[in-house]
Amino acid sequence: MILIERAKQNPAHFAPLYKKYHDAIFRYVFKRVDEEEAAYDITSCVFVKAIINLPKYEYRGVPFSSWLFRIAKSELYQSFRDKKAKRTISIDSVQIGRVMEEFSIDENEHKREILLKVLPLLKDKQLQLIEMRFFEKRSFREMGEILELTENNAKVKTFRALIKLKALYAQHNPLK
Amino acid sequence: MIKILVNRTQPSKAEIAKRQDFNYILSALPKKNLLYSPWFYGAMGFSSLAGLFYFIAAYS
Repeated sequence: MILIERAKQNPAHFAPLYKKYHDAIFRYVFKRVDEEEAAYDITSCVFVKAIINLPKYEYRGVPFSSWLFRIAKSELYQSFRDKKAKRTISIDSVQIGRVMEEFSIDENEHKREILLKVLPLLKDKQLQLIEMRFFEKRSFREMGEILELTENNAKVKTFRALIKLKALYAQHNPLK
Repeated sequence: MIKILVNRTQPSKAEIAKRQDFNYILSALPKKNLLYSPWFYGAMGFSSLAGLFYFIAAYS
């Protein structure tokens, strides 16, 4: 909090906060855009916006990191609207396995392909919840803080998104 | 259509750290407009009043 108060007085004092959160913000952005350079550009925009809006930041239960992720989320969607970056889902085999496990289905190449085919069919808000919960292993509390929802609401919405994903998976799986 | 990248190579911590550039962030901040500065209004107000008093004193 002392660092934040100092940075409010003088933007040059934001440097330690920039060093601390740069990696996490970059990784959050990188997973959602197709090009690495675009991810670096968006990350820079996030910190510029953060410094500009810092005088408005007040600690009201939302940690500073979640406040930065909120800015990152809005900057990402601005880049998609401006067509500076393309919405991407970055997923690895372990994360695919985690979702399959949640569906209680055995993992195989064919089933994995179906899952990857139906993931983009989700609404973007549902996709965000699935990404945060299953690909990034965030707590419902943190998800709520970033998406401006209550913890309980984040839990309920994630559960609904999972049901939707399951339904889409069942629709596209010829071997039900 | 949303693109899906499976097992994408992520840049290392060191690579990301190398790309940190706080000076760029500071240079990208919008410059403060002098018109919105209280110093500007203070100086303008003071000189206007001084001018007014001068004219009152000179022509009375």
